[in-house]
Amino acid sequence: MNDLTPEKTERSKLAKWSRRGFIGAGVLAGGGLLIGIGVRPGNPIGELAPKVAGGAGEQLVNSWVKIDTNNIVTAIVPHCEMGQGAHSVLAQMLADELDAAWEDVRVMQAPADGSYVVSAAARLFAAPFTLNAADWIKPTWDGVFTQISRAADVLITGGSSSIRSTGQYQMRVAGAAARKMLVGAAAESWGVPADEITTRNSTLTHEASGNSAPYSEFASAAAEQPMDQTPQLKTADQYRLMGRSIARTDIPAKINGTAEFGIDAQPDGLDLSYAAVVRPPVPGTRALSMDATRAQEMGGVLQILNMGNFVAVVADSYWQAQQAIGMISIEWSQSDSPVKTMDDQFAIFAAALDEAGEDGGEEAASRGDAATALAEAATTIDAEYRAPYLAHAPMEPLNCTAHVADGKCQIWTSTQVPLMARSEVASTIGLAADDVIIHHPYLGGAFGRRLGSEYVAMAARVAQATGYPVKLIWSREEDTQKALYRCADLCRMRAGFSQDGVLTAYSSIFTQRHDPAEASVPAMYDIANTKVRVAEAALHLPFQAWRSVDHSQQGFFVESFIDEIAHAAGADPLDYRLAMLANAPRHKAVLERVAEISGWREPAADGTAKGVAIVESFGTIVAEVIEVDMSSGSPKMTNIWAVCDAGYVMNPDGFKNQIEGGIVFGLTAAMYGELELRDGAIIQSNFHDYKMLRMEDVPDIEVAIIDSGDVPIGGAGEPGLPPAAPALANAIFAASGTRIRDLPIAKQFA
Amino acid sequence: MADFILNGEPVSIDADPNMPILWVVREKLGLSGTKFGCGIAQCGACTVHLDGQPVRSCSTAVSQAEGREVTTIEGVGGPEGELTRVQQAWVSEQVPQCGYCQSGQIMSATALLRDNPNPTDDDIDAAMSGNICRCGTYTRIRRAIKVAAGQVEPREQRENVGEA
Amino acid sequence: MHKPAISAGLALTILLTACGSSEPQEVVEQIVVREPGEVVTEIVEEGDGAQGTDLLALGEDAFQMCTGCHVIEEGAPSSAGPNLHNIMGRVAGTAENYPYSEALATSGLTWDEATLDGFLADPGGYLPGTDMLAGAVRDDESRRAVIAYLASQSSGAGE
Repeated sequence: MNDLTPEKTERSKLAKWSRRGFIGAGVLAGGGLLIGIGVRPGNPIGELAPKVAGGAGEQLVNSWVKIDTNNIVTAIVPHCEMGQGAHSVLAQMLADELDAAWEDVRVMQAPADGSYVVSAAARLFAAPFTLNAADWIKPTWDGVFTQISRAADVLITGGSSSIRSTGQYQMRVAGAAARKMLVGAAAESWGVPADEITTRNSTLTHEASGNSAPYSEFASAAAEQPMDQTPQLKTADQYRLMGRSIARTDIPAKINGTAEFGIDAQPDGLDLSYAAVVRPPVPGTRALSMDATRAQEMGGVLQILNMGNFVAVVADSYWQAQQAIGMISIEWSQSDSPVKTMDDQFAIFAAALDEAGEDGGEEAASRGDAATALAEAATTIDAEYRAPYLAHAPMEPLNCTAHVADGKCQIWTSTQVPLMARSEVASTIGLAADDVIIHHPYLGGAFGRRLGSEYVAMAARVAQATGYPVKLIWSREEDTQKALYRCADLCRMRAGFSQDGVLTAYSSIFTQRHDPAEASVPAMYDIANTKVRVAEAALHLPFQAWRSVDHSQQGFFVESFIDEIAHAAGADPLDYRLAMLANAPRHKAVLERVAEISGWREPAADGTAKGVAIVESFGTIVAEVIEVDMSSGSPKMTNIWAVCDAGYVMNPDGFKNQIEGGIVFGLTAAMYGELELRDGAIIQSNFHDYKMLRMEDVPDIEVAIIDSGDVPIGGAGEPGLPPAAPALANAIFAASGTRIRDLPIAKQFA
Repeated sequence: MADFILNGEPVSIDADPNMPILWVVREKLGLSGTKFGCGIAQCGACTVHLDGQPVRSCSTAVSQAEGREVTTIEGVGGPEGELTRVQQAWVSEQVPQCGYCQSGQIMSATALLRDNPNPTDDDIDAAMSGNICRCGTYTRIRRAIKVAAGQVEPREQRENVGEA
Repeated sequence: MHKPAISAGLALTILLTACGSSEPQEVVEQIVVREPGEVVTEIVEEGDGAQGTDLLALGEDAFQMCTGCHVIEEGAPSSAGPNLHNIMGRVAGTAENYPYSEALATSGLTWDEATLDGFLADPGGYLPGTDMLAGAVRDDESRRAVIAYLASQSSGAGE
């Protein structure tokens, strides 16, 4: 395990970041240590206690941790669990700093309460430089920032950020602070120096005097201890849990049917009714009128509602509601969008690029003078790339259970943004945010889809209109066709070479820039002259961040084009990239290692060829090699290798499963992902035509991790995805000479 | 009325005979372990056993279960909730990510291994390709099936998390 | 996850708009059929069972289960299953633009009341190798009704 030598930097960063009062302390009625990463300096956390420490004898040790009389430590995690393992690994990080016994650690989802805003995550994304802001500016930033977080309901899970923001800057700090206060309390009680007390497995020990006690014994007294605002965190050589492939805490419930997802809500004492919905087939249209004569007569039907932007049937069962809704004929308003097919959409993109021409559009990134270098280049190559619209298609279709009664609205749903959902419900049905209570269990996948909460507001409206507690479920067809999407895009790229085949200029222009801003820029390569431009164009289908966001299409554009460049220069594509990474040692190391583990330089097995791609996203560098067999005429993947450098990996097996998952997600999109339009409405509707990779399609995936010890550490959820499509397309080129510039791949070989 | 055996116990349910078993089990019998993913037998999240054979309960009317045995994920383990070899392998190989598809995956894998205790990769493909995993855990599912079949050693004991 | 720009004010704006707009919407039309728990006498016909238009209505209802995979509107493209318009009297496996299983395509069957009855009662048993793994209509009454409905959607059906 590498030592994280930058820990000194980290400590001083924390000192600057975490000023007096940013961690608050309080005592609970009935006794108990209460420490919270308070959103307002000095804010007592007592008001939180009823929501969190509900069990008999439970003591809220801090707003991230509580200890009960059985010495059980519960980590209260403010991020959702959608398969990325955030619950477990954040508890792992806290438990390590706290020196808690892992077998006595439990995880609890933090309530959807403003006290749990993940300001560190917001900070990471909004203003990363503030982590190192000058002392004089710190209090201003802290105060302003947390106000922003709270106002903007920043209780968000996404952006591959849970470990590198909340984990590093909140969970660990809370654990370390709690440990120190427990030690202080024991030191006082035993009359011994604090620095002679050791902590291990939720136990305090003073060897010399033979004193020893479980944490629970001093939890209350610890609350009286002075609080270290910048507790020292462990260095990597001191980690006991961090850095290890600890088994996930949520898995046992996920293999026996007991794990509860949003769609499984069965709130006590409520007799649920069920709603099926139909949303407008073309975005921006509305239901003008409906003929529900047949539907009214169908079994189980209770109410039928035209809510304007959707039609709902409420029935005794979801199946009955879904049967009935198919019988309603709805008159939709006309759309005035000119986009009827994807040809129309791409024509709009092309028009925007045409209009921008050689030097129009907005500059996204620039180095040197690409225009001149291209004009003077010995040879140039041009390529136009396309990417389609993609649906998130989580296995759990969107759903929400809502009950409006006695001036309050209770919501049970899977969401990545519980506080934003709360605000949206509150404003939609006219309640105060505090009167909307969000219960949010496990998510059956999200991939960014559950960052938008329109389905939550829909359920609240139906519950309000009918007065019933209603579970509203989107059919898979609704989920596929009436959703929010990864944008399509068109990208024109040009490269210029010197006489001896050296790449002297790279330029690209495209129409969709959402985030992260650096996705379109091949920054790690030594390309003397680079210019990346955006010429914005409107989207027919509404946008939603989709796993790895802009990296998902830009990774394909950039790493395919770099591959074209390498082949145009007559070079091995991996070696060509290496030669351009002289100033990016971490990238170089990752690429060299993937060459090694994939056997890149050895002769390929008969009928197969390999392709490579390397993308840095969300703080993690990933290089992938995919081996493809084209002997049947269409691509069959036979092996996949990935090497990742995230700086430091908190749970290697958890990290690997995220990379594997990102690869499969990216390859599904590469092979099959496409949404087509007819009359402005999406054609694909379910898994028979919006196809997924299945067991038989996915070969072995080997993931290797390089710990370069860099801080800040990188994310895990998304970085595996961007290199997947280009690595596959590059392999197909190597095997067949066919260059893929347009996705999806499978239909081009049908 | 639909009368059938559910996880070993007789049940009698007042339901439209065309209502799929999936919804009868989830809504009328309160067992939420079997999941809704697509409604057209394309994703496998709804897989249950009907007289031991895996079927997609979203597309199987409850009238088809009349007098027969239905087993869901809740009933596949032992009476005290003891885990089957398949379930244990799912844990040792840390298979689930979001977990939503895994009830169906386990039901399909359980039926495979019961009928074919020593499956080849092609056998696994054939039995499991009706189950979609959007989180992409296929390589782990394959490995877990092989572990449950005794073909592959379970993942090495994770580092002991007790005394470090 | 949206990554807002550097300034704090802009961050607030972008984060807020990221959650989408939620203009209050009015209910355009609300039809209350009955209240939950109200007992409705379901008409279960014994003996002769449903006839004529009742049978068709029952069949259309029961066909809803099939719409997960099948379409029946003339000219509509097949989806997971083939378009069933004009199925009555059709040689099995001959709808356009649909990738039938070998079993069904080479079965030599012509769909009529008898063959549909056999197939729909147990597709895999009646025609081993069929792709239609789901969608059996075990209930005799429902199956009779579905077949009547399918007939009504075939030309020359006379209903």
